[in-house]
Amino acid sequence: MSIKDMLSIAAMNLRRRKLRTFLTVLGMAIGTASIVVMVSLGIGMQEVTKEIFEGYGSLTLINVYNYSYQDPSQTSNSMVWSSGSEVTLDAKKVDEFKRIPGVQAVMPLVQVYGYLKSGQYVSGIQIMGVDAASAEQFGFVLDQGRLPNTSTGSNYELTLGNYVLYNFYNPKTYRQAVDNEGNPRVSLDKSRFQLTFDHRNIYEYEDYGGESTPKGKMYKVNVVGALSQEGGMNAYYTLMDINALNRLYRENKDNMYGLETGKYQEVWVKCESTDDVVAVQEKINSMGYAAYSVQEGLQTQQEMQRQTQMLLGAIGGVALLVAAIGIMNTMMMSIYERTKEIGIIKVLGCRMGNIAGLFLTESAFIGLIGGAVGLGVSYALSYVLNTQIMETAGIRSIIPLYLSLGAVVFSMGVALISGMYPAFRAMRLSALTAIRAE
Amino acid sequence: MEQAYEIAGAAASTTKKEIIIDIRDLKKTYRVGSVNVHALSGINFSLNRGEICCVVGRSGSGKSTLLNLMAGLEGPTSGEIVIARQHVEKMNQSELILFRQQHVGFIFQSFNLMPYYTALENVAFPLVFRGMSKRKRMKLAREMLCSVGLETHLKHKPTQMSGGQQQRVGIARALVTNPEIVFADEPTGNLDSKTSDEVMNLICDIARTQNKTLVMVTHDPNMAAFTDKAVHLLDGQVVKIDENTREI
Repeated sequence: MSIKDMLSIAAMNLRRRKLRTFLTVLGMAIGTASIVVMVSLGIGMQEVTKEIFEGYGSLTLINVYNYSYQDPSQTSNSMVWSSGSEVTLDAKKVDEFKRIPGVQAVMPLVQVYGYLKSGQYVSGIQIMGVDAASAEQFGFVLDQGRLPNTSTGSNYELTLGNYVLYNFYNPKTYRQAVDNEGNPRVSLDKSRFQLTFDHRNIYEYEDYGGESTPKGKMYKVNVVGALSQEGGMNAYYTLMDINALNRLYRENKDNMYGLETGKYQEVWVKCESTDDVVAVQEKINSMGYAAYSVQEGLQTQQEMQRQTQMLLGAIGGVALLVAAIGIMNTMMMSIYERTKEIGIIKVLGCRMGNIAGLFLTESAFIGLIGGAVGLGVSYALSYVLNTQIMETAGIRSIIPLYLSLGAVVFSMGVALISGMYPAFRAMRLSALTAIRAE
Repeated sequence: MEQAYEIAGAAASTTKKEIIIDIRDLKKTYRVGSVNVHALSGINFSLNRGEICCVVGRSGSGKSTLLNLMAGLEGPTSGEIVIARQHVEKMNQSELILFRQQHVGFIFQSFNLMPYYTALENVAFPLVFRGMSKRKRMKLAREMLCSVGLETHLKHKPTQMSGGQQQRVGIARALVTNPEIVFADEPTGNLDSKTSDEVMNLICDIARTQNKTLVMVTHDPNMAAFTDKAVHLLDGQVVKIDENTREI
C-alpha cells in the first residue's frame, strides 16, 4: 500500500465524519494554543528580564574588583567569608585574565571624582580612566564626538557621560545651566572646559584655620565627545585615558583618593559569548578576585523564572492532555463504528500493518491540523495580548520559530500516541467477527 | 447438446487434474457455555483447478464454517486444509492475509461494498493494498466492471444501484486481483430469484472462461444446477457429493 493511498484514504475517512473530526481538531487546536500561549508568556517573561538586565550593562561583561572573595562553601569557618581583603590588580593580572579561554578583551580602569568647569558653570563628574585602546570593545555608545585617544602628552581628552551636560550649575546660585526649553547652556563645540580635583577651586569656603595646602591646579581639557544613554550603566561615567589620569594623579595626590600608580581598582573582562561568562567568572573567582557579571544575575533570575514557566506549561499541558484523550475517544468510536469495514478490508487483503497505519495516519492528521490551527490561534491571541492587554504590564508573549514548529510536531506526536492503542485494537480485530458485525 | 457439454467437461477435467483444494478430516468444535458444539465433524473432499463447486446445506449444517475455514478467517480444531499446496491451518494472521491477497477472491452475501466509494473505486480497492498505481488499478477495475456488464454504472455509489448490480460490483471486486480461487458466501442470498439466476450465470461464466476455481456456499439445492459439483452437508458431515450436476 503506497503512502499516497494511505494518506488519501485516511483523509477521506476524516472527511466522512466531518462534525466529529471538526470537534476533535478543535480540541487539539485549543490544547495546542493553550500550551503555546503559556510557553510564549514564559519566554516573554525571560526576554523582558533579559532586557532589564541588559540595561544594567553588557551581558558578556565581567567586572573584577581589587578585593578578594572567599566562597563560603569552601571554608569550614563560617565567620571567614565576610572578611574581604585587598588584592592587587595590575598589568600582570590583566595579562593573566586575557589568557583565560573565552575572553575577548580585558580593560583595566580606575575611577576618580573631579570637577569640570565651563565658564561660570561647574559639574561634578565621575571619571573613569580606561585603556583607550580597548575601550571601544566595551560597549560605550557615543551620542556625539568620539572616545578619548590614548594620551600622548599633556593634552587631556574627555568623553562626557550622558548626563554631564545637563548637570552643570552655577556654584554660587545653584541655578542649573539650562535654558527655558530645558536645553543645556553648555555645549561640546562652543564651550571650553577646565578640570580640577580640588573643591576649593570651585567653592569659596571660609578657611577653617587648619594647615593650608596649595590649591590643586586647573587643567585645560578637550571634550571630544559625549556618551549616549543607550550604553546603560556606562553612560554615567566620563571617560579619560588611564595613563593621562595617572599623570594627573601624580600631581594631585592630596585631592584624589583611592588611586595608586600601577594598580587598578577594577578590571573589565569581556567574553566572546554569554555562554562563556559563568565559566570565566568562576575561573577569576578561583584566582582570588571578586568578579561580578550581569549574566550571572540574569541566569539566577531566569533559573527562578523557569519554575514559573514550567507551571505555565503544565497548565497548558492539561488542555492538551484532554485533547489527546479526545482523539483516543474519537478513534475508538471510529473503530467500533467501522468494525465491519475493517473486517472487509482485511478479507480483501489489507495487511495488518496497513490497518494500523491507516488509523495512525488519521490520528496524525488530526494532530497536524489541530496543531496548525492551534498555532494560528496562538499567534492571534499573542497579538491581542501584546497590543491590547499587556502592553503596559511588563509581560509579553513571544512565539519564536522553534516554539511554533515544536508545537505542531508535538501535537502530531501526542495525536500519534493517542492513536496507538486504537490502531492496535483495529489491527487485532478478527476478520470473521468484524464481517459478522452490523 | 447436453452430452456434448458433458464430454467436453470430462475431457477438461481429465487433462488437468491438478488438485487445488484438499480438505482432510476437518473438524471444528465451538464451545458454547459448557457445551461443545461440533460444527464440522470430519470433512473430506477435494477440488481440481477450474472446478465450480457448491456447498449445499440447511442452516446450521456447517457450510459457512467450512467456507470460513478454507478462507482462513478462523482456524480449525483439527484436520488439514491444503489450498494451492499451502497448509492454511498452519498460517498466522499476516501469512493468511498475504495468502488471501495472492490466491483468494471473496464474494459476500450482503455485498459489503464501501458505501462512500463509486463502483469503480470499490472494484479498484483490493488493488490499493497491493500497492498498485492509481492509473493501473482504475484501468483494471474498468475492464472488470465492463465484463460484468456495468460499464454504464462506473460512477454510481452502491446506494444508487440495485441488489443485482451491487453483487456484480462485488463479483468484479473479487476477480479484479486475478485470484486462483473464488469463495462465495450465499452470493444470491439477498437477491430475488430472477436476479439470482442472472448473477449465478454471470459468476459461473466468468469462472469458466477465466479458469477460476469457485466454491460457493448456498442453502438452495437448485443452485447445484449451475455448478460442476455439489457437496451436501448435514450436521457437520458430508452426506453426498454429486459430480457433473450442471444443467444450465
